[in-house]
Amino acid sequence: MNIKVMKTLLWRETWEHRGLVWAPLITAAVIVLTALLSTSFTGSVRLDLDGKEQQLFAALATDFSHQRQMFAVWLGALVVPQLFVAMIVVVFYTLDSLYIERRDRSILFWKSMPVSDAETVGSKLATALLLVPLWAWLVSMLASLVVFAIVSVKLSGTPLAPLATFHLGAWLGLQLTMLQNVLVAALWYAPVAVYLLLISVSAKRSPFLWAILPPVLLVIFEDVTFNTNMIAGFIVNRLIGFFRELDLHISARDGDTSASVIQEIARSYEQLGTLDMLAKFDLWLGVALAVIGFFVVVRLRRWRDDA
Amino acid sequence: MGAVIHARDVRKRYGRSTLALDGLDFDVAAGRIVGLMGPNGAGKTTALKAILGLTPFEGELRVLGRDPRTERDALMRDVCFIADVAVLPKWLRVDHALDYVAGVHPKFDRQRADEVLARTDIKRKSKVGQLSKGMITQLHLALIMAIDAKLLVLDEPTLGLDLLYRRGFYEALLNDYFDHERTILVTTHQVEEIENLLTDVLFISHGKIVLDSTVDALPSRFAQLVTTSEHVAAARALRPVYEREVFGRYALVFEIGKGGAPTVDELAAWGDVRTPSIADLFVSLMNGGHSSSTTASRVKAEVAA
Repeated sequence: MNIKVMKTLLWRETWEHRGLVWAPLITAAVIVLTALLSTSFTGSVRLDLDGKEQQLFAALATDFSHQRQMFAVWLGALVVPQLFVAMIVVVFYTLDSLYIERRDRSILFWKSMPVSDAETVGSKLATALLLVPLWAWLVSMLASLVVFAIVSVKLSGTPLAPLATFHLGAWLGLQLTMLQNVLVAALWYAPVAVYLLLISVSAKRSPFLWAILPPVLLVIFEDVTFNTNMIAGFIVNRLIGFFRELDLHISARDGDTSASVIQEIARSYEQLGTLDMLAKFDLWLGVALAVIGFFVVVRLRRWRDDA
Repeated sequence: MGAVIHARDVRKRYGRSTLALDGLDFDVAAGRIVGLMGPNGAGKTTALKAILGLTPFEGELRVLGRDPRTERDALMRDVCFIADVAVLPKWLRVDHALDYVAGVHPKFDRQRADEVLARTDIKRKSKVGQLSKGMITQLHLALIMAIDAKLLVLDEPTLGLDLLYRRGFYEALLNDYFDHERTILVTTHQVEEIENLLTDVLFISHGKIVLDSTVDALPSRFAQLVTTSEHVAAARALRPVYEREVFGRYALVFEIGKGGAPTVDELAAWGDVRTPSIADLFVSLMNGGHSSSTTASRVKAEVAA
């Protein structure tokens, strides 16, 4: 594989699909705006503390280790909507990517260039699984600094001011963890992306419908025939499994002490990384299916002759 | 190196019954400008797709010594094609189109493309969707002309363009691109427009090659006799392959120079003899098939459109 060619192919994707570039920027703008307008502490992380904030923050003000964890969870939670939006944009992108070129017949131009089908399909897959999520990660990294600045201004002079301390080490650590998460997500969602490319390369029309229909019919069939929902569970697990792992939710119930909420913070902090997903058999099964699917997509694009 | 294109018994079937290519045999030598002509559905586009490795087929086909089925990616470094008009996507910006080809094509000369584009009214920041059909073709040609390819394949490159753009297209191709080492294979319906630049003709009908000749050899193979109603019966006895009547005069096309066929002198006894134009020849051979034993079908004054 030629680096210059691959770079060009990736640029090409951003020229065609401007939304891939704009979606993370717009999401970041919304997050920053929310932080500006919101009266609550974080603006975006879910903190259901039922009025225990004062007590908790007083405890955190001197507990630096948990303060750092709180900081990381808070800013980490800003990345989750970024990745989620990126995922949605990528779904539409992958469905379009090998369909539009046949519909507008531009495939005849792309195929007149010395670019192999594996390089083309590879560039689309890399855009979906790496380029867009990495761009979302980069944007969220910068957005987190802006959000932090806004919140620290808001908190200055209040008893919560110590919480607006910037922890450089924790921030860098968080970005690294999120980078790992992006790579884990790429592996986890690889079979979904390849499935969508498969629909995109083969559908004669309305790829969106073709993508949705088979799984829905399978789910209904299973439900009616066996009265079970294994396929539905399987699909839902694949679709939201990653975000389930990245659940940055700090909750407290009546009667919780600030000590137990601090424990909750520590638990949430543990959730920041998703590297343990690499131990899942599911993940590697998906990767294997994605590799096989990739070659099928390449072959279909190679010989598809309806432009 | 041998022939640029070497085809032996190339067959292609669509579905169960449609035979798009029915055993093509032909060779294209380097430095030629070959017109591949045939009526709609004759197999022109399928033949080009086979040559470009865009469709599977049976038989033997070598392009620049490579099999387009298995070596397409390498082949495309030396082969360019403009398949039909307006396959450049609407969203593509002109400067990005240049960036793209520069990025993926090792034989692209960006400066050359810039020079060619500078002669047009195309703006660098325009999107293809904002250009006229003629300008899109100019852009595509500018990209292709800057690629140092050995074989250029054109499939109806000027379809739907006005006369000025069509002329400009072929003039640019001939003056600024063709250098007697490169080979051009072109299909078009507008036979009259390209007949002066061709060195070779390939006629295809029902998936078969019905005429494979250099343009230089045509005068020794075909003759057209223009005669009056007085002599037409005598001329018909010499078995023309095609006949048409225009304003009371008859134009009959004969195959000459082979056993049993009339000679030019024999024909000259009945009227004026000249070499038919490629357009005339095309109409002749596509009507009633290419066989001297076939009685020419009498087609009323149908001037080729």
